[in-house]
Amino acid sequence: MKYAALFVIFLLPAFAAAVSFDGWANTRMEGDSLSPQTGRLDLGGLLRGGDWTFIIHERLSHGDSTGIVPRILNTYSRTDADLTIKAGPITVNPDVCWTVDLGDKKPEIVLPLQAGVACREGFIRPGLGIDADITDDIHLFSRGLYWKRDLIQEDDTNLGWTETRISGGATWNSPWGVSLTVAGLTHKAESDLINYESVWNRMDVQFGVRPQSLPPNMFVSGAVTYSIYDGSDFFDHDIADRLTSRVRLVQMFFPAVSVNTTFESVIDFDDGITRNACTSLESRVLYRFMKNRDVPSVVELSGKLSRSSIRTERAGIFSRINIYKGLSLLIDAEARITPTSVAGAGPCRKRYIFGPGLEYQLGTIARIWGIVEQERTNLDRNENWWRMRAGLELYPGAFSF
Amino acid sequence: MTRFANTLAAAVAAIILLSACKGPVESTQLVVNPDDCTGCGECVEVCPYNAIEVIDGDAVIDPALCHFCYRCVEQCPEGAIN
Repeated sequence: MKYAALFVIFLLPAFAAAVSFDGWANTRMEGDSLSPQTGRLDLGGLLRGGDWTFIIHERLSHGDSTGIVPRILNTYSRTDADLTIKAGPITVNPDVCWTVDLGDKKPEIVLPLQAGVACREGFIRPGLGIDADITDDIHLFSRGLYWKRDLIQEDDTNLGWTETRISGGATWNSPWGVSLTVAGLTHKAESDLINYESVWNRMDVQFGVRPQSLPPNMFVSGAVTYSIYDGSDFFDHDIADRLTSRVRLVQMFFPAVSVNTTFESVIDFDDGITRNACTSLESRVLYRFMKNRDVPSVVELSGKLSRSSIRTERAGIFSRINIYKGLSLLIDAEARITPTSVAGAGPCRKRYIFGPGLEYQLGTIARIWGIVEQERTNLDRNENWWRMRAGLELYPGAFSF
Repeated sequence: MTRFANTLAAAVAAIILLSACKGPVESTQLVVNPDDCTGCGECVEVCPYNAIEVIDGDAVIDPALCHFCYRCVEQCPEGAIN
Protein backbone atom coordinates (compact mmCIF):
# COMPACT_ATOMS: atom_id res chain seq x y z
CA MET A 1 0.00 0.00 0.00
CA LYS A 2 2.63 2.45 1.10
CA TYR A 3 4.58 2.20 -2.11
CA ALA A 4 1.53 2.25 -4.35
CA ALA A 5 2.33 5.86 -5.17
CA LEU A 6 5.57 4.70 -6.76
CA PHE A 7 3.56 2.95 -9.44
CA VAL A 8 1.97 6.26 -10.31
CA ILE A 9 5.37 7.33 -11.61
CA PHE A 10 5.09 4.69 -14.24
CA LEU A 11 1.40 5.23 -14.97
CA LEU A 12 1.37 8.98 -15.36
CA PRO A 13 3.54 9.12 -18.48
CA ALA A 14 0.88 7.11 -20.30
CA PHE A 15 -1.43 10.12 -20.03
CA ALA A 16 1.03 12.70 -21.19
CA ALA A 17 2.69 13.34 -24.49
CA ALA A 18 6.07 14.73 -23.37
CA VAL A 19 7.33 13.92 -19.91
CA SER A 20 10.68 14.56 -18.32
CA PHE A 21 12.06 12.75 -15.32
CA ASP A 22 14.59 13.91 -12.72
CA GLY A 23 15.78 11.60 -10.01
CA TRP A 24 18.15 11.99 -7.09
CA ALA A 25 19.58 9.93 -4.25
CA ASN A 26 21.33 11.25 -1.17
CA THR A 27 22.71 9.28 1.70
CA ARG A 28 24.62 10.38 4.78
CA MET A 29 26.02 8.45 7.70
CA GLU A 30 27.30 9.53 11.08
CA GLY A 31 28.95 7.75 13.93
CA ASP A 32 30.37 8.70 17.31
CA SER A 33 30.85 7.19 20.71
CA LEU A 34 27.28 8.05 21.75
CA SER A 35 25.52 6.54 18.76
CA PRO A 36 27.85 4.61 16.50
CA GLN A 37 25.65 4.32 13.49
CA THR A 38 23.06 6.86 12.42
CA GLY A 39 22.17 7.94 8.95
CA ARG A 40 19.65 8.99 6.41
CA LEU A 41 18.74 7.91 2.89
CA ASP A 42 16.72 10.18 0.60
CA LEU A 43 15.37 9.03 -2.76
CA GLY A 44 13.40 11.36 -4.95
CA GLY A 45 11.85 11.65 -8.36
CA LEU A 46 10.26 14.50 -10.28
CA LEU A 47 8.01 13.88 -13.26
CA ARG A 48 7.14 16.96 -15.26
CA GLY A 49 4.55 17.19 -18.01
CA GLY A 50 3.04 20.16 -19.78
CA ASP A 51 0.86 21.52 -17.00
CA TRP A 52 1.62 19.18 -14.17
CA THR A 53 4.43 17.99 -11.95
CA PHE A 54 4.59 14.98 -9.68
CA ILE A 55 7.21 14.70 -6.96
CA ILE A 56 7.79 11.66 -4.81
CA HIS A 57 10.29 11.71 -1.97
CA GLU A 58 11.14 8.76 0.21
CA ARG A 59 13.25 9.17 3.35
CA LEU A 60 14.60 6.43 5.57
CA SER A 61 16.19 7.85 8.71
CA HIS A 62 17.89 6.33 11.72
CA GLY A 63 18.77 9.02 14.24
CA ASP A 64 18.35 10.75 17.57
CA SER A 65 14.77 11.00 18.78
CA THR A 66 15.29 12.53 22.20
CA GLY A 67 17.91 15.27 22.06
CA ILE A 68 19.37 14.05 25.34
CA VAL A 69 22.39 12.03 26.46
CA PRO A 70 22.44 9.04 26.34
CA ARG A 71 20.61 9.11 23.04
CA ILE A 72 17.60 7.04 22.12
CA LEU A 73 17.58 6.29 18.44
CA ASN A 74 14.56 5.88 16.21
CA THR A 75 14.14 4.66 12.68
CA TYR A 76 11.42 6.08 10.53
CA SER A 77 10.28 6.05 6.94
CA ARG A 78 8.61 9.05 5.38
CA THR A 79 6.99 9.14 1.97
CA ASP A 80 5.84 12.38 0.36
CA ALA A 81 3.87 12.33 -2.89
CA ASP A 82 2.93 15.71 -4.32
CA LEU A 83 0.97 16.38 -7.51
CA THR A 84 0.56 19.88 -8.93
CA ILE A 85 -1.82 20.54 -11.81
CA LYS A 86 -2.12 23.96 -13.41
CA ALA A 87 -5.21 24.82 -15.43
CA GLY A 88 -5.15 28.43 -16.55
CA PRO A 89 -5.09 30.67 -13.47
CA ILE A 90 -5.99 27.79 -11.14
CA THR A 91 -3.41 25.53 -9.50
CA VAL A 92 -4.53 22.40 -7.68
CA ASN A 93 -2.05 20.64 -5.40
CA PRO A 94 -3.10 17.38 -3.73
CA ASP A 95 -0.42 15.64 -1.69
CA VAL A 96 -0.03 12.90 0.86
CA CYS A 97 2.63 12.34 3.49
CA TRP A 98 3.01 8.98 5.20
CA THR A 99 5.37 8.41 8.13
CA VAL A 100 5.99 5.10 9.87
CA ASP A 101 8.18 4.75 12.98
CA LEU A 102 10.09 1.51 12.54
CA GLY A 103 12.34 1.24 15.58
CA ASP A 104 11.94 -1.38 18.31
CA LYS A 105 11.45 1.35 20.89
CA LYS A 106 9.02 3.93 19.56
CA PRO A 107 9.37 7.60 20.54
CA GLU A 108 7.35 8.52 23.62
CA ILE A 109 4.87 11.37 23.44
CA VAL A 110 3.69 13.19 26.57
CA LEU A 111 -0.07 13.57 26.25
CA PRO A 112 -2.03 16.65 27.25
CA LEU A 113 -4.55 16.67 30.13
CA GLN A 114 -2.01 14.64 32.16
CA ALA A 115 -3.17 11.60 30.25
CA GLY A 116 0.21 9.92 30.53
CA VAL A 117 2.53 8.80 27.80
CA ALA A 118 1.90 7.14 24.44
CA CYS A 119 4.18 5.76 21.77
CA ARG A 120 4.32 7.42 18.39
CA GLU A 121 4.03 4.95 15.53
CA GLY A 122 3.51 7.29 12.58
CA PHE A 123 0.84 9.21 10.74
CA ILE A 124 -0.76 9.69 7.38
CA ARG A 125 -1.46 13.22 6.23
CA PRO A 126 -3.41 13.96 3.05
CA GLY A 127 -3.62 17.57 1.94
CA LEU A 128 -5.13 19.71 -0.77
CA GLY A 129 -4.07 23.16 -1.90
CA ILE A 130 -5.91 25.36 -4.38
CA ASP A 131 -4.37 28.61 -5.63
CA ALA A 132 -5.69 31.11 -8.13
CA ASP A 133 -4.18 34.11 -9.89
CA ILE A 134 -7.14 36.48 -10.17
CA THR A 135 -5.10 39.14 -11.92
CA ASP A 136 -1.38 39.70 -12.43
CA ASP A 137 -1.25 41.32 -8.97
CA ILE A 138 -3.82 39.41 -6.91
CA HIS A 139 -3.21 35.87 -5.78
CA LEU A 140 -5.60 33.70 -3.75
CA PHE A 141 -4.44 30.63 -1.85
CA SER A 142 -5.96 27.95 0.34
CA ARG A 143 -4.75 24.72 1.92
CA GLY A 144 -6.35 21.96 3.90
CA LEU A 145 -4.40 19.31 5.84
CA TYR A 146 -5.61 16.33 7.85
CA TRP A 147 -3.44 14.17 10.12
CA LYS A 148 -4.39 10.74 11.38
CA ARG A 149 -1.76 9.87 13.95
CA ASP A 150 -1.01 6.48 15.46
CA LEU A 151 -0.39 7.21 19.14
CA ILE A 152 -0.49 3.94 21.04
CA GLN A 153 -0.87 3.65 24.78
CA GLU A 154 0.81 1.00 26.90
CA ASP A 155 -2.25 -1.27 26.68
CA ASP A 156 -2.10 -1.10 22.85
CA THR A 157 -5.03 1.31 22.68
CA ASN A 158 -4.87 3.73 19.78
CA LEU A 159 -5.73 7.25 20.92
CA GLY A 160 -7.40 8.08 17.61
CA TRP A 161 -5.53 11.38 17.49
CA THR A 162 -6.49 13.52 14.50
CA GLU A 163 -5.63 17.07 13.49
CA THR A 164 -7.16 19.36 10.89
CA ARG A 165 -5.56 22.54 9.59
CA ILE A 166 -7.33 24.81 7.13
CA SER A 167 -5.80 28.04 5.86
CA GLY A 168 -6.44 30.55 3.13
CA GLY A 169 -5.86 34.11 2.11
CA ALA A 170 -5.07 36.63 -0.56
CA THR A 171 -1.95 38.54 -1.60
CA TRP A 172 -1.84 41.81 -3.50
CA ASN A 173 1.49 42.63 -5.08
CA SER A 174 1.56 46.33 -5.85
CA PRO A 175 3.68 47.64 -8.70
CA TRP A 176 5.75 49.68 -6.19
CA GLY A 177 7.43 46.76 -4.51
CA VAL A 178 4.93 46.56 -1.64
CA SER A 179 2.72 43.56 -1.01
CA LEU A 180 -0.24 43.06 1.29
CA THR A 181 -1.35 39.63 2.47
CA VAL A 182 -4.41 38.81 4.52
CA ALA A 183 -4.67 35.20 5.66
CA GLY A 184 -6.52 33.05 8.14
CA LEU A 185 -5.85 29.67 9.68
CA THR A 186 -7.71 27.28 11.94
CA HIS A 187 -6.14 24.26 13.62
CA LYS A 188 -7.99 21.56 15.50
CA ALA A 189 -6.50 18.61 17.40
CA GLU A 190 -8.64 15.99 19.09
CA SER A 191 -8.57 12.60 20.68
CA ASP A 192 -11.83 11.02 21.75
CA LEU A 193 -10.15 8.49 24.00
CA ILE A 194 -8.75 11.10 26.39
CA ASN A 195 -11.50 13.68 25.70
CA TYR A 196 -8.98 16.15 24.33
CA GLU A 197 -9.99 18.87 21.92
CA SER A 198 -7.98 21.96 21.12
CA VAL A 199 -8.91 24.59 18.56
CA TRP A 200 -6.92 27.71 17.83
CA ASN A 201 -7.32 30.24 15.05
CA ARG A 202 -5.02 32.85 13.60
CA MET A 203 -5.57 35.87 11.41
CA ASP A 204 -2.51 37.40 9.72
CA VAL A 205 -2.07 40.78 8.09
CA GLN A 206 1.32 41.16 6.44
CA PHE A 207 2.99 44.08 4.70
CA GLY A 208 5.98 43.14 2.60
CA VAL A 209 8.48 45.55 1.10
CA ARG A 210 10.97 44.86 -1.64
CA PRO A 211 12.37 48.16 -2.92
CA GLN A 212 12.90 48.20 -6.66
CA SER A 213 15.32 51.09 -6.98
CA LEU A 214 18.38 50.24 -4.95
CA PRO A 215 22.08 50.73 -5.53
CA PRO A 216 23.67 48.03 -7.67
CA ASN A 217 24.38 44.70 -5.98
CA MET A 218 22.04 45.46 -3.10
CA PHE A 219 18.92 43.52 -2.19
CA VAL A 220 16.60 44.48 0.66
CA SER A 221 13.36 42.82 1.72
CA GLY A 222 11.25 43.32 4.77
CA ALA A 223 7.96 42.11 6.16
CA VAL A 224 5.80 43.10 9.10
CA THR A 225 3.15 40.60 10.18
CA TYR A 226 0.46 41.12 12.79
CA SER A 227 -1.06 37.83 13.93
CA ILE A 228 -4.25 37.76 15.96
CA TYR A 229 -4.66 34.49 17.84
CA ASP A 230 -7.77 32.95 19.27
CA GLY A 231 -7.13 29.91 21.42
CA SER A 232 -5.25 28.63 24.44
CA ASP A 233 -1.77 27.26 25.06
CA PHE A 234 -1.09 24.20 27.22
CA PHE A 235 -1.30 26.35 30.40
CA ASP A 236 -4.86 27.21 29.30
CA HIS A 237 -3.74 30.83 28.87
CA ASP A 238 -4.86 32.79 25.85
CA ILE A 239 -2.26 32.73 23.07
CA ALA A 240 -0.90 36.25 22.77
CA ASP A 241 -1.24 38.29 19.60
CA ARG A 242 2.09 38.76 17.89
CA LEU A 243 3.84 41.38 15.77
CA THR A 244 6.73 39.95 13.77
CA SER A 245 9.14 42.19 11.83
CA ARG A 246 11.91 40.86 9.68
CA VAL A 247 14.40 42.77 7.52
CA ARG A 248 16.92 41.13 5.24
CA LEU A 249 19.81 42.91 3.54
CA VAL A 250 22.08 41.32 0.97
CA GLN A 251 25.02 43.38 -0.23
CA MET A 252 27.70 42.35 -2.66
CA PHE A 253 30.77 44.52 -2.05
CA PHE A 254 33.04 43.01 -4.63
CA PRO A 255 32.20 40.30 -7.14
CA ALA A 256 33.66 37.78 -4.70
CA VAL A 257 32.29 38.99 -1.34
CA SER A 258 28.66 39.15 -0.26
CA VAL A 259 27.07 39.87 3.11
CA ASN A 260 23.62 38.62 4.10
CA THR A 261 22.17 40.15 7.27
CA THR A 262 18.78 39.42 8.85
CA PHE A 263 17.23 41.26 11.77
CA GLU A 264 14.09 39.96 13.43
CA SER A 265 11.92 41.42 16.16
CA VAL A 266 8.89 39.74 17.71
CA ILE A 267 6.56 41.55 20.10
CA ASP A 268 3.69 39.89 21.95
CA PHE A 269 0.50 41.62 23.05
CA ASP A 270 -0.96 39.70 25.94
CA ASP A 271 -4.02 41.09 27.75
CA GLY A 272 -2.82 44.68 27.53
CA ILE A 273 0.79 43.79 28.33
CA THR A 274 3.31 44.36 25.57
CA ARG A 275 6.37 42.11 25.70
CA ASN A 276 9.49 41.82 23.63
CA ALA A 277 9.20 38.12 22.80
CA CYS A 278 12.31 37.72 20.66
CA THR A 279 15.02 39.78 19.00
CA SER A 280 17.63 38.24 16.77
CA LEU A 281 20.41 39.32 14.47
CA GLU A 282 22.11 37.06 12.00
CA SER A 283 24.83 37.68 9.44
CA ARG A 284 26.70 35.63 6.86
CA VAL A 285 29.75 36.69 4.91
CA LEU A 286 30.53 34.69 1.79
CA TYR A 287 33.87 34.84 -0.04
CA ARG A 288 34.19 32.99 -3.33
CA PHE A 289 37.53 32.56 -5.04
CA MET A 290 39.34 30.36 -7.57
CA LYS A 291 36.17 30.46 -9.65
CA ASN A 292 37.85 29.12 -12.78
CA ARG A 293 38.54 25.73 -11.16
CA ASP A 294 36.27 22.69 -11.59
CA VAL A 295 34.81 23.44 -8.15
CA PRO A 296 34.86 27.08 -6.99
CA SER A 297 36.31 27.63 -3.53
CA VAL A 298 34.30 29.34 -0.83
CA VAL A 299 34.70 30.57 2.74
CA GLU A 300 31.56 31.34 4.73
CA LEU A 301 31.56 33.08 8.10
CA SER A 302 28.28 33.16 9.98
CA GLY A 303 27.02 34.43 13.30
CA LYS A 304 23.70 34.73 15.07
CA LEU A 305 22.50 36.20 18.36
CA SER A 306 19.01 35.85 19.70
CA ARG A 307 17.37 36.91 22.91
CA SER A 308 13.96 35.78 24.08
CA SER A 309 13.03 33.92 27.23
CA ILE A 310 16.09 31.92 26.21
CA ARG A 311 19.34 33.07 24.68
CA THR A 312 21.03 31.42 21.74
CA GLU A 313 24.36 32.32 20.20
CA ARG A 314 26.04 30.76 17.24
CA ALA A 315 29.21 31.42 15.25
CA GLY A 316 30.58 29.27 12.48
CA ILE A 317 32.97 28.96 9.60
CA PHE A 318 32.71 26.66 6.63
CA SER A 319 35.25 26.51 3.85
CA ARG A 320 35.71 24.48 0.71
CA ILE A 321 39.17 24.87 -0.82
CA ASN A 322 39.60 23.22 -4.20
CA ILE A 323 42.81 21.18 -4.39
CA TYR A 324 42.79 19.37 -7.71
CA LYS A 325 39.99 18.92 -10.25
CA GLY A 326 36.91 17.84 -8.25
CA LEU A 327 38.79 17.25 -5.01
CA SER A 328 38.36 19.84 -2.24
CA LEU A 329 39.41 20.28 1.35
CA LEU A 330 36.57 21.00 3.78
CA ILE A 331 36.89 22.78 7.10
CA ASP A 332 33.90 23.11 9.39
CA ALA A 333 33.88 24.83 12.78
CA GLU A 334 31.00 25.95 14.96
CA ALA A 335 30.45 27.37 18.43
CA ARG A 336 26.93 27.39 19.90
CA ILE A 337 25.17 28.27 23.12
CA THR A 338 21.64 26.94 23.53
CA PRO A 339 19.43 25.99 26.44
CA THR A 340 19.51 22.30 27.21
CA SER A 341 17.10 19.73 28.56
CA VAL A 342 19.88 17.41 29.74
CA ALA A 343 19.53 16.82 33.48
CA GLY A 344 22.38 18.23 35.55
CA ALA A 345 23.98 20.06 32.64
CA GLY A 346 22.97 23.53 33.77
CA PRO A 347 20.78 25.99 31.93
CA CYS A 348 23.06 26.41 28.91
CA ARG A 349 24.88 24.03 26.68
CA LYS A 350 28.09 25.30 25.11
CA ARG A 351 29.27 23.37 22.10
CA TYR A 352 32.44 23.73 20.08
CA ILE A 353 32.76 21.63 16.94
CA PHE A 354 35.74 21.51 14.61
CA GLY A 355 36.58 19.16 11.81
CA PRO A 356 38.46 18.84 8.55
CA GLY A 357 37.21 16.76 5.66
CA LEU A 358 37.50 15.92 2.00
CA GLU A 359 35.01 16.18 -0.83
CA TYR A 360 35.00 14.97 -4.41
CA GLN A 361 32.56 16.31 -6.98
CA LEU A 362 32.07 14.54 -10.28
CA GLY A 363 30.59 17.41 -12.26
CA THR A 364 26.95 17.74 -11.26
CA ILE A 365 26.39 13.98 -11.26
CA ALA A 366 27.88 12.93 -7.93
CA ARG A 367 29.34 14.35 -4.74
CA ILE A 368 31.03 12.31 -2.05
CA TRP A 369 32.32 13.79 1.16
CA GLY A 370 33.60 12.89 4.59
CA ILE A 371 34.39 14.92 7.72
CA VAL A 372 36.02 13.92 10.99
CA GLU A 373 34.84 16.22 13.77
CA GLN A 374 35.60 16.76 17.39
CA GLU A 375 32.86 18.12 19.62
CA ARG A 376 33.43 19.58 23.05
CA THR A 377 30.37 20.26 25.12
CA ASN A 378 29.79 21.23 28.74
CA LEU A 379 27.40 18.40 29.54
CA ASP A 380 28.15 16.40 32.66
CA ARG A 381 29.14 13.37 30.64
CA ASN A 382 30.83 12.91 27.27
CA GLU A 383 32.52 16.25 27.32
CA ASN A 384 34.63 15.45 24.28
CA TRP A 385 33.91 13.07 21.48
CA TRP A 386 34.92 12.38 17.92
CA ARG A 387 32.42 12.00 15.18
CA MET A 388 32.71 10.83 11.59
CA ARG A 389 30.27 12.04 8.97
CA ALA A 390 30.15 10.99 5.35
CA GLY A 391 27.73 11.33 2.50
CA LEU A 392 27.08 10.47 -1.12
CA GLU A 393 24.79 12.50 -3.37
CA LEU A 394 23.78 11.32 -6.83
CA TYR A 395 21.97 13.32 -9.47
CA PRO A 396 22.06 11.49 -12.79
CA GLY A 397 20.25 14.33 -14.59
CA ALA A 398 16.97 14.73 -16.42
CA PHE A 399 15.77 12.73 -19.39
CA SER A 400 12.62 12.91 -21.50
CA PHE A 401 10.46 10.13 -22.84
CA MET B 1 32.55 52.74 0.13
CA THR B 2 29.28 54.58 0.86
CA ARG B 3 27.38 51.33 0.56
CA PHE B 4 29.79 49.68 2.96
CA ALA B 5 29.25 52.54 5.44
CA ASN B 6 25.46 52.27 5.10
CA THR B 7 25.51 48.54 5.67
CA LEU B 8 27.85 48.92 8.62
CA ALA B 9 25.57 51.59 10.10
CA ALA B 10 22.54 49.34 9.68
CA ALA B 11 24.37 46.45 11.36
CA VAL B 12 25.50 48.67 14.25
CA ALA B 13 21.94 50.00 14.67
CA ALA B 14 20.62 46.44 14.80
CA ILE B 15 23.25 45.46 17.40
CA ILE B 16 22.33 48.49 19.54
CA LEU B 17 18.66 47.55 19.28
CA LEU B 18 19.48 43.96 20.20
CA SER B 19 21.55 44.97 23.21
CA ALA B 20 18.86 47.44 24.30
CA CYS B 21 16.43 44.59 24.93
CA LYS B 22 17.11 44.34 28.64
CA GLY B 23 14.95 43.21 31.47
CA PRO B 24 12.64 40.22 31.60
CA VAL B 25 11.81 38.89 28.21
CA GLU B 26 9.04 36.34 27.91
CA SER B 27 7.77 34.36 24.99
CA THR B 28 4.49 32.61 24.63
CA GLN B 29 5.64 30.82 21.50
CA LEU B 30 8.97 29.78 20.07
CA VAL B 31 9.99 31.49 16.84
CA VAL B 32 11.08 29.58 13.73
CA ASN B 33 13.02 31.60 11.19
CA PRO B 34 11.85 30.27 7.81
CA ASP B 35 14.99 31.64 6.11
CA ASP B 36 17.16 29.33 8.22
CA CYS B 37 14.88 26.28 8.47
CA THR B 38 15.78 23.55 5.97
CA GLY B 39 12.84 21.29 6.86
CA CYS B 40 15.18 18.47 7.94
CA GLY B 41 12.67 17.31 10.58
CA GLU B 42 15.12 16.82 13.48
CA CYS B 43 12.97 19.06 15.68
CA VAL B 44 9.95 16.87 14.91
CA GLU B 45 11.87 13.82 16.08
CA VAL B 46 12.97 15.27 19.42
CA CYS B 47 9.71 17.02 20.37
CA PRO B 48 8.15 14.95 23.18
CA TYR B 49 4.78 16.69 22.80
CA ASN B 50 4.14 16.12 19.09
CA ALA B 51 3.99 19.90 18.75
CA ILE B 52 6.09 20.31 15.60
CA GLU B 53 5.39 19.36 12.03
CA VAL B 54 7.18 20.18 8.79
CA ILE B 55 4.68 21.90 6.49
CA ASP B 56 5.71 23.09 3.05
CA GLY B 57 9.39 22.67 3.93
CA ASP B 58 9.39 24.65 7.18
CA ALA B 59 9.02 23.57 10.80
CA VAL B 60 5.71 24.77 12.27
CA ILE B 61 5.16 24.74 16.05
CA ASP B 62 1.67 24.23 17.46
CA PRO B 63 1.30 26.86 20.21
CA ALA B 64 -1.37 24.79 21.96
CA LEU B 65 0.94 21.77 22.40
CA CYS B 66 4.40 23.33 22.87
CA HIS B 67 5.62 23.04 26.49
CA PHE B 68 8.83 25.11 26.08
CA CYS B 69 11.18 22.21 26.78
CA TYR B 70 13.62 23.73 24.23
CA ARG B 71 14.74 20.36 22.90
CA CYS B 72 14.06 21.59 19.37
CA VAL B 73 16.19 24.69 20.02
CA GLU B 74 19.04 22.50 21.23
CA GLN B 75 18.73 20.02 18.39
CA CYS B 76 18.15 22.27 15.36
CA PRO B 77 21.34 22.01 13.26
CA GLU B 78 20.72 25.41 11.68
CA GLY B 79 19.89 27.30 14.87
CA ALA B 80 16.61 28.32 13.26
CA ILE B 81 14.46 28.14 16.42
CA ASN B 82 14.66 30.91 19.02
